[in-house]
Amino acid sequence: MNYPNELSYSKSHEWVKMDGDTAIIGISDFAQDALGDVVFVNLPAEGDDVTAAEAFGDVESVKAVSDLICPVTGKVAAINEELLDSPELLNSDPYGAWIIKVEGITDKEELLDAAAYEEFCAQEG
Amino acid sequence: MSELKRTQLYDVHVAAGADMVDFGGWEMPIQYPTGIVAEHLYTRHACGLFDVSHMGRLLIEGPERIAFLQHVLSSNVMALDIKQAQYAIIPDENGSAIDDAYLYKFNEDNFLLVVNAANTEKDLAHLLPIAKDYDCTITDISKDYAAIAVQGPKSKEIMLTLTKGKAITEPMKNALNIVELEGHKAWVAKTGYTGEPLGYEVYVKSCDAEWLWNRLVELGGKPAGLGARDTLRLEAGLPLYGHEMGKGPDGSDMPIFAVSLAKFAVSFSDQKGDFIGRAALTRQSEAFKKIMNRDFSGMDVLPKRIMPITLLDRGVMRAGMEIYRNGELVGWVTSGTMVPYYRSEGEGLATVITDETAKRSIGMCYIASDVLEDDMVEIDVRGKRLKAVIPPYHMRVDAPPFARPIIYGYEPAQMDVKVDDRAKKAVELIFDATHNHEWRQHQCINLIPSENSASRAVQLLCASDPSFRYAEHKKVKSFYDQEIFYYQGTKFIDRVEQLLVEQMKEYFNCTEVETRVISGQMSNMATFSALMDWKNRLDRKHTPQRLGYVMNNHIIKGGHLSAQPMGALRDYIAIDPVTERHAIVNFPVCEDNIYKIDVEETKKLIDQYRPELIIFGKSMVLHKEPVAAIRKFVDEQNIPTTIMYDMAHVLGLVGDYFQKPFEEGAEIVTGSTHKTFFGPQRGVIATNWKKEDLKYGLWETIQSRAFPGSVSNHHLGTQLGLLMAAYEMNTFKAQYQKAIIENAKHFAKALKKQGLDVAGDPEIGYTETHQVIASVGYGMGPEIAERLERNNIIVNYQATPDEEGFTASGALRMGMSEMTRFGFGFEEFDKLAELMADCILRGKEVGDEVTKLRSGYTKMHYCFDDEEMLNALESFSAKIGL
Repeated sequence: MNYPNELSYSKSHEWVKMDGDTAIIGISDFAQDALGDVVFVNLPAEGDDVTAAEAFGDVESVKAVSDLICPVTGKVAAINEELLDSPELLNSDPYGAWIIKVEGITDKEELLDAAAYEEFCAQEG
Repeated sequence: MSELKRTQLYDVHVAAGADMVDFGGWEMPIQYPTGIVAEHLYTRHACGLFDVSHMGRLLIEGPERIAFLQHVLSSNVMALDIKQAQYAIIPDENGSAIDDAYLYKFNEDNFLLVVNAANTEKDLAHLLPIAKDYDCTITDISKDYAAIAVQGPKSKEIMLTLTKGKAITEPMKNALNIVELEGHKAWVAKTGYTGEPLGYEVYVKSCDAEWLWNRLVELGGKPAGLGARDTLRLEAGLPLYGHEMGKGPDGSDMPIFAVSLAKFAVSFSDQKGDFIGRAALTRQSEAFKKIMNRDFSGMDVLPKRIMPITLLDRGVMRAGMEIYRNGELVGWVTSGTMVPYYRSEGEGLATVITDETAKRSIGMCYIASDVLEDDMVEIDVRGKRLKAVIPPYHMRVDAPPFARPIIYGYEPAQMDVKVDDRAKKAVELIFDATHNHEWRQHQCINLIPSENSASRAVQLLCASDPSFRYAEHKKVKSFYDQEIFYYQGTKFIDRVEQLLVEQMKEYFNCTEVETRVISGQMSNMATFSALMDWKNRLDRKHTPQRLGYVMNNHIIKGGHLSAQPMGALRDYIAIDPVTERHAIVNFPVCEDNIYKIDVEETKKLIDQYRPELIIFGKSMVLHKEPVAAIRKFVDEQNIPTTIMYDMAHVLGLVGDYFQKPFEEGAEIVTGSTHKTFFGPQRGVIATNWKKEDLKYGLWETIQSRAFPGSVSNHHLGTQLGLLMAAYEMNTFKAQYQKAIIENAKHFAKALKKQGLDVAGDPEIGYTETHQVIASVGYGMGPEIAERLERNNIIVNYQATPDEEGFTASGALRMGMSEMTRFGFGFEEFDKLAELMADCILRGKEVGDEVTKLRSGYTKMHYCFDDEEMLNALESFSAKIGL
């Protein structure tokens, strides 16, 4: 299991990377492993408002559907359209396959650093 | 909560890194590290291994086991022959399912009933009190035996390695066998829950479970968990108890007939008596029939049905989601997910399954019975209404060895058949026909055993005036059975027909021949129709009884469709009320030579079934049929029957070098006149009954079922050609028949010498007929046959008796008729064998060499070629302008 140091993590297993004022959001290696084969991703539209600690979309594995929880409040600046055709990228490259970019951030969940997140996962797993 | 149960293979799953979950009280692998998608795809293209040891295995024994099972199951247990399995449902009194199950008859003494793991205790609680009323016992043997499902196109190869090449089971679905797998006893069923056309469920003693699992993995099987098992069965449209059976999404009991499979799993045979749920199921069946006829007045009994459903919008459907039609709630999704598949390219037999994968959102639903195939509906996917459609099915398995996904809305490419300028097209047709004629007659080597070419005399006669005429005629008793014609201008054809009948009588050495039937299949239909009519001749006041039992060669063992219920026998064969199947019994074949009828076993079956008609004859034929032995047996045993020999393939071989059917005891011979015989395409029926015989009346019936029963116009042109062919055959048969059989034996040996795998017994030169069969690898037949055609060698690909069907054909069937007529002898067949081996085994292009070989052999042999005939033909040709 991989926990890159440069990222922050939510307890609902999303990762966040700040690029200036923009938050880039994806799901963690731990999350993709628990989900199994991701077969579909439901994404918001560009310009949609998203709210911290609320669902902004969902990922479906063969077995079940799971909500994607937004770690920040803001406006969707971009979605990763590649995931619509190739949702399995979330399994094969969880930290490369970002899901959305959010700008105009007004609020943020409490996030964990890599070490704390790893410990959190160890307790969950 | 009680502790989870574990199968014999638990440790193996854990060691393989499987995710173990609670499944109906069992700790089972949901997936292995490869994941569900990979496991699903591997099963579809190679071989998935599933631990199904959690399922309940109940042994039913005792003298009243059949009566008990008939009472508690929906199916007709009497329909089950030894070494066969059947799908069955355990119904309750209300016609809902307590469980669904598979019933296996591995031997005469007991039945194995396999039920769902989570239902085993419930099933036992239901069955045990009922069993007390019967002299039978139910023993749960789940702990003593493990079960492994070996599923997918490579499963057969893997299993054959373990049996050391010995047949695993008969190739038909639901066949069973008890075999040794490298010294370990195994009970094998050709069944499964993946929809794979090739797949086995293997039962072994618990102590052998780990060994078998590991060995299967070594041989290329890959473990697949319950996740893949679910997506596979969903794609195959197979119901899962708790989703498509049992309680519905609204909490109501789902009627058994909601699942279309019930049609096959429920029997109302008298044999079943007042079985549990009979009354309710009868009502459901009536409602089901109405719904199938789009009469929805029975929807109170069967309000909803289980149907496949495909999501057209992007998303995933899940069990429990609501389905709407025009805003009205009409049902629920019962199973749904995203299912992967391999994309394919090309059309028809040339379809190639690629490595590229895709996914589709499919499921099953419990939906209002008036929703029809292709209807558009909406699924409520977490508040969003997404478009969906009811497809006919998600997958088809009728082109083994692969299960093929059916993508909704896909339209195969069609041939362009639009014609703008007919005059131009008319000329084009002539050029195309010229090219085709030259190619097939002069450039190709034709080895199709059901084909031959006709002499120039036969061809010209076929094209002359009688082709455009009518000559209906019928024997009239008032005129001492003289043939009376309905039309004028027919005196020539009257003479031709009488001459033809006499020539054919001489050929068969028999008393009567009918030549008006225009194909072999029609010969058989007219004969079956007459047999049925004859059977009912003394009672015309009731609906006539059909024929039964009838003994024939199974289609997969070389029998032809013209003697099968799927073909010419369909409207004449009875349904056995006990088994509820066609009253057919097949000739058993020898264990060491599947191309040969086992005479001793046949006698036992004749004694048991007392067939009223025995039909010899095959289209894949290497041996003589044991007509004399069976005639002797039925005469000695005084068994009333009619022995018929459909000689379609071997009609031109009647005589000293093959068989003399009437001398051996056949009563009726049918056939087609253009395979080994020299004629144009027609049929013939012959018999050896004399006027004083009782069965002469049957002969008269056969004639009346030929005309007016089957033909009004009996195609006079080819009848004229057939007379010439009969003259040729009766003159040249000794040389031709000897040559063709010697050529076949020689060619078989030559192919073998070139490294090809030739079927048959080498002791007798592989064949006693005009046919040679060579194996080219399982499922490779169509591809190799196509490659040979590109190289100007025309053969047909053929499924051998241990293969699943024509798309899985692993053999080529070849006949020597045409090339023998064009003068091929040993030397030419040696050369041909070399060219074929170059093409098949060494991938060489040999088209030019084939044409070169062929070019030296374009003159027809075994026909009249004296000067007088040649002059007559020139004059005929000039005068008729052909």
